[in-house]
Amino acid sequence: MGILSGGMTVRRFRVEGTLSAGWRENLREQLVNMAFREPPNGQRGEELEGWVQIDDLLGTDFANPNAWLIQPWVVFALRVDKKTLPANLLKATVAKQCREWCEERGAERIPASEKKRLKEELEDRWYSTQLPRVSLVEVAWNVVDQVALVGTTSEKGIERVRTRFHRTFGLELHAWSPLDDLDDTLLGEDLLATTPMAGGVA
Amino acid sequence: MSDSTPFPPHLAAEFLLWFWWRSERDATVFDLPAPVGRVEAWVDDRLSFRPPGGDRATAVLTGENPSATLEARAALAGGKVLHDVRVHLKRDDREYTLQLGGTTLDVRGLKLPKLPTENAEEALLDRLDRYGEFHLVLQGLFAAFAAERTGPAWKQEAVPSLAAWARPPAS
Repeated sequence: MGILSGGMTVRRFRVEGTLSAGWRENLREQLVNMAFREPPNGQRGEELEGWVQIDDLLGTDFANPNAWLIQPWVVFALRVDKKTLPANLLKATVAKQCREWCEERGAERIPASEKKRLKEELEDRWYSTQLPRVSLVEVAWNVVDQVALVGTTSEKGIERVRTRFHRTFGLELHAWSPLDDLDDTLLGEDLLATTPMAGGVA
Repeated sequence: MSDSTPFPPHLAAEFLLWFWWRSERDATVFDLPAPVGRVEAWVDDRLSFRPPGGDRATAVLTGENPSATLEARAALAGGKVLHDVRVHLKRDDREYTLQLGGTTLDVRGLKLPKLPTENAEEALLDRLDRYGEFHLVLQGLFAAFAAERTGPAWKQEAVPSLAAWARPPAS
């Protein structure tokens, strides 16, 4: 559920910082620089993240402005890939391979270095055939009002987007508070000074 | 990274309670200052409660009109505060439903009015425009709450009225 379709689950942010002249081309370059990339040697257990087009999790070149710039909104998504091996099956398989290694050589114990090698080979084989779990957090950034919507309320997901947003654009996302929109700042201050109603009601 | 004005958790719960109470008291009609104007809004098919210092729901009421149940009033009388509510909003002929709550008034599962659109780009822009309208209404409701909560009549009039409303009927 996010910004593009379905029920919208979002947290709102104020974007702090200014866009430079020629921001359109700059934003495209910045998105491409921090886009999602597959590592050349394949993914193991680490998490991989990067920007993709909001409507295409394989779209990383942002070449078509219509795919990411719908004035006044800039839209994109953070793709996060994670591969996880079944730990109990990995452990049992390594133990079996260690027993076989000992039987073949008539040895009582397998050296730690050999056990490590067997485990790494097994992990390489399994990781190379396993597909990642892919998650997507959509972002819509109004570059006129400097407001951004992030399509999750998970704290981990929010922090991930904020950190990458800052690294990508050099701008900060400040979580929206209902108090920010009050026209009368004194009202906000008075509200902040209130104490909780006793017993939740009175 | 710092955030905007800190939002004390009790304000989220009190805003939701105020919204529930006002909606029932005024037959779902809120006349808000411009640019929002008149909206209809009510608690829909879900309410959840948490302990005053907590950040998770410990009691959830769902189904048809849960806000009218004895359990809902009993939760308030027992000292629990609202954690989130499913809200239905209507402005002119446009209707929105969402789950609003948590300690920072998060918006979850916001269903927007559908508009016939030509293409994906227009559809996204329409969704963002509709979100903008929803946010405007939310701002208006919160501003109305803020004015009442900090006004002179809060302690003398609103709190006694709210407490009487929240009290479970004597069996």
